[in-house]
Amino acid sequence: MSLRAYRPLTALALGAGLALSTFASGALAQDDLSGDLVFWSSFTQGPRAEYMQRMADKFTAVHPNVKISIETFSWNEFNTKWTTGLAAGQVPDISTALPNQVVEMIDVGALVPVDDVIDAIGRDRFAASALLEGQKDGNSYSLPVYSHAQVMWYRKDLLDAKGLAVPTTWAELRDAAIALNDPPNVYGLSVPLGTNDFMGTRYLNYYVQSAGSALIDASGRADLTSPAAIEGINFWVDLYKQVSPQGSINYNVLDQATLFYQGKTAFDFNSGFHIGGVAANTPDLLDDFAAAPLPRLKAGDPIYGGETANIALVAWAVGKHQAAAKAFLESLYEDADYIEFIHSVPGGMLPALSDISQQPAYQDNDLLKQFASSVAVIEQVIPLGSAIGMEDGPKIQAGIITSQAVIEQMFQDIILNGTPVETAAQAAEDKLNELFVAAGAVFTD
Amino acid sequence: MQLRSHTTAGLWFVLPAMLVVVALLLYPVLSSIFFSFTNRNLLKTVYAFVGAQNFLSVLNSRDFWNAFFTSIKWTAGSVLGQLVVGLLAALALERVPRFSGLYRTLLVIPWAFPAIVIAFSWRWILNDVYGFLPNLLSAFRITNGNVSFLADPQLVFAVALAINIWFGAPLFMINILAALKTVPRDQYEAAMIDGANLGQRFWYITVPHVRRVIGLLLILRTIWVFNNFELLFLITGGGPAGLTTTLPIHAYRTGWGLRQLGMASAITVLLLIFLLVAAALAFKLVSRWERTPAR
Repeated sequence: MSLRAYRPLTALALGAGLALSTFASGALAQDDLSGDLVFWSSFTQGPRAEYMQRMADKFTAVHPNVKISIETFSWNEFNTKWTTGLAAGQVPDISTALPNQVVEMIDVGALVPVDDVIDAIGRDRFAASALLEGQKDGNSYSLPVYSHAQVMWYRKDLLDAKGLAVPTTWAELRDAAIALNDPPNVYGLSVPLGTNDFMGTRYLNYYVQSAGSALIDASGRADLTSPAAIEGINFWVDLYKQVSPQGSINYNVLDQATLFYQGKTAFDFNSGFHIGGVAANTPDLLDDFAAAPLPRLKAGDPIYGGETANIALVAWAVGKHQAAAKAFLESLYEDADYIEFIHSVPGGMLPALSDISQQPAYQDNDLLKQFASSVAVIEQVIPLGSAIGMEDGPKIQAGIITSQAVIEQMFQDIILNGTPVETAAQAAEDKLNELFVAAGAVFTD
Repeated sequence: MQLRSHTTAGLWFVLPAMLVVVALLLYPVLSSIFFSFTNRNLLKTVYAFVGAQNFLSVLNSRDFWNAFFTSIKWTAGSVLGQLVVGLLAALALERVPRFSGLYRTLLVIPWAFPAIVIAFSWRWILNDVYGFLPNLLSAFRITNGNVSFLADPQLVFAVALAINIWFGAPLFMINILAALKTVPRDQYEAAMIDGANLGQRFWYITVPHVRRVIGLLLILRTIWVFNNFELLFLITGGGPAGLTTTLPIHAYRTGWGLRQLGMASAITVLLLIFLLVAAALAFKLVSRWERTPAR
């Protein structure tokens, strides 16, 4: 056999060698991912925590040089951990984060941009409003992992028994709540105003949003004296006096939800987490309640987003293994895995990726099927809303307005001390603006 | 000579532990004092000295003074209530002939639970819709409808105080009971032979034997209760209308909510100064009381 005869074989061998080396270099690139990652997760409940651990194990199986240790904290603990750990560099590589926390993290340069991860997943798959909450100077610092929005929950059986229609305006809600109020069996509605939560702020925000206004104006100042805000304060004070348990002046979100789970309130405002809450606490009620959009100011007004929460994932600047951290973040959005994650709280956690809800695998869930119309309502309003005070993008004021209980104290002052609404609203507005300035906020006039 | 060398060696052995304890004790205090003169933000590493500005702001704040006077009421009411209940329970237990160990264990239960469990249990018990107590009172027609214990401005402070007394009284009870066990029986017998009544026996025999313990407990509990944060915060959140906002809750909101570490440190330094002065006065009074001869 002449040498010429070997030419094709040589060419084949060379080609195979080249292909192998290319493959090897690709594999090497994958194996380049290494490091010990710390992930602070606020997914404390069983299925969500287990899911994260499974995803970490799966990632490590593909990238053996990456070790991911997940530390799970409640949101309160997380808040303490990151705020105290930041100065000492004792923060993780990646973590979950609430929108207000993301703002503060960006403000102190604690995060790295994750635009590359967003682009790899598909930027257009995320709601623009969700991405906006984590953006500064054209960079995105947070990756929405799931969303939920506030809607009105109502008891179908109670409305039917009285022959009442589902309220669509605040005035109709007031009338229906009064009609259904039958304490101590059922209260028309509970108005939670405790200073250990921001429920009073949340409720006032619904009303103000329905009037096309906001609690923080475009300049960044608190606005509690606008006609919409004054009207809203009067509305909730009136409903508190007429149909709410007296103790609700001290209620937090848990107290409020417990009342609904026990069938003690005809109306309530919450996200889709109510579905799981009722399923776990009083399954007998599952057929008797549903969600509707937040009431409007006038009949015919468009549906609006009262409050949307986009829970996010972030990558911390102190992390030494950014590539591995980002690759892990991206791996969480593989469709099949992501759907499994979202299914851990059906209706409570809605997909941050807009196309997921159309997929049969996502729709194949008993609770989602049972509450399809309610979930559709939530899905409709998610892209319309934002976190309280972040209507125009991330603001440090948004964290203050929900953490200092100024609005809750204002409500309590009006109800318990009889302070005139306008006086109390002006005092609360001034106090909030002082706090904004003290926190370093700059107003844009 | 032998003793001195033992003492020196012993000191070397305990020195590391002492250093750690002193460091852990001193660091938070010194850092608070230091930061109280700065505009330090919890999240930022860069800060500047602002002199006494934080102190002036705090002392000119109506919220601070409201919280301060609420703290005084809260502390005085809690400590005195705990003393009275603890003393009565100890005196009663001392006379129980059978199962006193069982009763003692039952009475100590509140002290054994974490504050968060106690707070949530009481919130649950007192809830005006599904709470056990309001419904019970209402069912027996003791009240006209369910009372909202934690929302009624006339009741909320007294109710929170009662919970804190229930929580803290066992500590007084156990310590006073231990002191009561040391009172020689023959003194009571001699007094009874001399015709002393119950009140005289209590005042002239019991009190002199337990006053040292009571004095120490009063000082310690005053400091603890004044600094206590979690129980009241978890039960009322400082509300309604600021009626239960004490200085620690006010400092927490400033430090954690607003991230104003400098301002929060100024509040805690003022709190520290007040407690140091109060403790010094209390020690002086207690030691004078202890020196007073029993007649």
